[in-house]
Amino acid sequence: MSEPDVVSVRGLRKSYGARVVVDGLDLDVPAGEIVGLIGANGAGKTTTVECVQGLRRPDAGILRVLGYDPVTQAGQLRPLVGSQLQDSALPDRLRVAEAIDLFSTARARDGGELLEQFGLAARRRSVFSSLSGGERQRLFLILALLNGPRLVILDELTQGLDPAARRNVWAAVRQLNDEGTTVLLVTHEMDEAEALCGQVAVMRSGRVIDAGAPADLVERHASTATIRFSRPDPPVALLDLLRRLDGVREVERTGALITVRGHRRIIAYVGAALMRWEPVPADLSVHVPSLEDAVGGLLNGEHGEPVARTPVAMELTGGR
Amino acid sequence: MSTAVGRLVRAELALMTRDPLVLTFVFAFPIVTMLIIGGAFGTTPDRAFDGVNPAHWYVASYLTVVIAATGLVMLPVHLASYRERGVLRRFAAAGFPRWSFAIAQLIVGLVTTAVACALLLAVAAPVYGLPIVHDGWRVAVALPLGAIAFVSIGVLLGSLLPSARAAQAVGLLIFFPSFLLGAGGPPPRVMGSVVRQIAGPLPLTLLTNAVRAPWLGLGPATGSLIGVAVLAVAATVLAAYRTAL
Repeated sequence: MSEPDVVSVRGLRKSYGARVVVDGLDLDVPAGEIVGLIGANGAGKTTTVECVQGLRRPDAGILRVLGYDPVTQAGQLRPLVGSQLQDSALPDRLRVAEAIDLFSTARARDGGELLEQFGLAARRRSVFSSLSGGERQRLFLILALLNGPRLVILDELTQGLDPAARRNVWAAVRQLNDEGTTVLLVTHEMDEAEALCGQVAVMRSGRVIDAGAPADLVERHASTATIRFSRPDPPVALLDLLRRLDGVREVERTGALITVRGHRRIIAYVGAALMRWEPVPADLSVHVPSLEDAVGGLLNGEHGEPVARTPVAMELTGGR
Repeated sequence: MSTAVGRLVRAELALMTRDPLVLTFVFAFPIVTMLIIGGAFGTTPDRAFDGVNPAHWYVASYLTVVIAATGLVMLPVHLASYRERGVLRRFAAAGFPRWSFAIAQLIVGLVTTAVACALLLAVAAPVYGLPIVHDGWRVAVALPLGAIAFVSIGVLLGSLLPSARAAQAVGLLIFFPSFLLGAGGPPPRVMGSVVRQIAGPLPLTLLTNAVRAPWLGLGPATGSLIGVAVLAVAATVLAAYRTAL
C-alpha cells in the first residue's frame, strides 16, 4: 500500500470580502516529495498554504495535513509543520540565539549546528532588526527546520537572497528532503522550482491549472526549441535537409541568419546535420525552453483551458 | 521554564528591558509625576484630600498610574506591532499553544507592574514616607485585580487597533484623561460636579478608589472593587479570545 499523501486538499475556497482568492483548489503533496506551488502574485498561493497550516479558516473544502484537519486539529498539526512565512517578522530587539531558544521545543535539533550550517553562527548575539534581508531569510529557514518537522512549508524562500546564499539554501532544502522531509515550496521563481521540485502545481486565479514534473510541463506547454546560426549563401540542400529533420516545424532565413524551430529533439538532429556541412557556424545558439517559458505560456493563457492531464498531474490535483 | 509560556515570558521580559518606551513610560513617568505633584501639594493633611496628607494620597494613587501606563500605553503598542509585523502569525505557525501568548502577556504585564510599583514605593519612601495600610487585604485584592484588568485591556486594544501608531495614539488618548481624572490629577473634592460625574465610572478611577480608600482608611470602596473585578474578568476573557494563536 502506498504511503498516504502528506497534504490532501479538495475543493478549497477562500474569499476576502467579495474577492475570491482560492476557488475550488485541489492539491495533493505526496510524502517525501518537494512540491512547488507556483504562479503569479495574487494567484492564491500564500492563502492556500496558510489554510494548509491552519492559519486561515477556509470558506469551503476538505483539507487533511499529516492526517489532521488544519481547522479543528491545528494544535496537533502545527508542531509537526515547519514553516517559513512570507511577510512575517520577529521582535526587533530579539537576538538570534534568543530566537532559537524561543522556538525550540523538546525535540529541537541543535540550534548551534543549524546556525553554523546557514552561516549565522557569528550573528548569534545580533538583534533581528540588524540582520540583512538574506540573514533574516536564513534565520526563518533555521526556525522552520529547528523542531524536526515532517512537513516544511517555504513561502518565497529565497526572496532577497544573493545568488550564493540562494544556492546554499537550495542545498539545505535538498538535504532536508533527502532526510525524508516533505516540502511544499511556494515560489514565483521558476528557476527555483525547476532546481528543487520533483512536482509543481501551477496556480492561476485561485485554481491549479496544471501540475506535474517540471520537465513534463515544459514538454506540454513550451516544447519549441530555437536554433540560430549564420551562414552566408546557405546551400539550398542544407535548408531542405533542415526542413525534413524529424521535429522541425519551421526554418526561416533572414539574410545570412537561419532560424530553426521545432521540438527540442531537433537540437541533436540540427547539430548532426551542421557537422556534415562544415564549417560549423561560430555563432550557433540554442534556446531550450524552460519551466519559465512553459508557465509563462500557461499563465498567459496561450495554451487555453482545460489542460490535458497526465497521470502525475491528476495525482497532484486529486485526480480531478 | 521550557514550556511555550515559559519561553515566551523569558523572551518578552528580556525584550522589555531593551524597550525605551517601557522604561520611560512605565517606570520613569509615574515616579517623576508623583514627585512633582506630591511636592506641589505638600504633606499637611487637607480637607480636599479627605483629610489625609496629600503626598500620601498621591503615593497611594500612583500605583494605579503604573498599572494604567502598562495597560494603556505599553501593551497596546507592543501587541499591535506584533500583529502588524506578522510576529503573532509566526508564533501560531510555529505551534505555540493557542492560549500561550495571552497567558505570557498577562504574566509579563503583571511582573512589569509589580516591579514598577516596587520601584515607585522605593522612591516615595525616603521622600514622603509610605502611608500606613489600613485595610491590607482589600488593597492586596484590588491591586492584582486592577493589574489583570488593565493588562487585559491593553492586550485587547493591541489586538483590535490596526497598527502600532494607532495603538499609541489611542492608548495615550485614553491614558491621559484617565490619569488626570482618575489617579494623578486633582482630588475629586476639588473637581466640578460634571467633571466628577465623568471621572467616577472610569476604570482607572474605580481602581484608584479600590486601592486608595482602604489603604488610607477612607472606607472599603466595595463598589469600586466589584467594578474592577467585573472589568478584570470581562477584559481577560475578551483579550484571551482575541489573541488565541
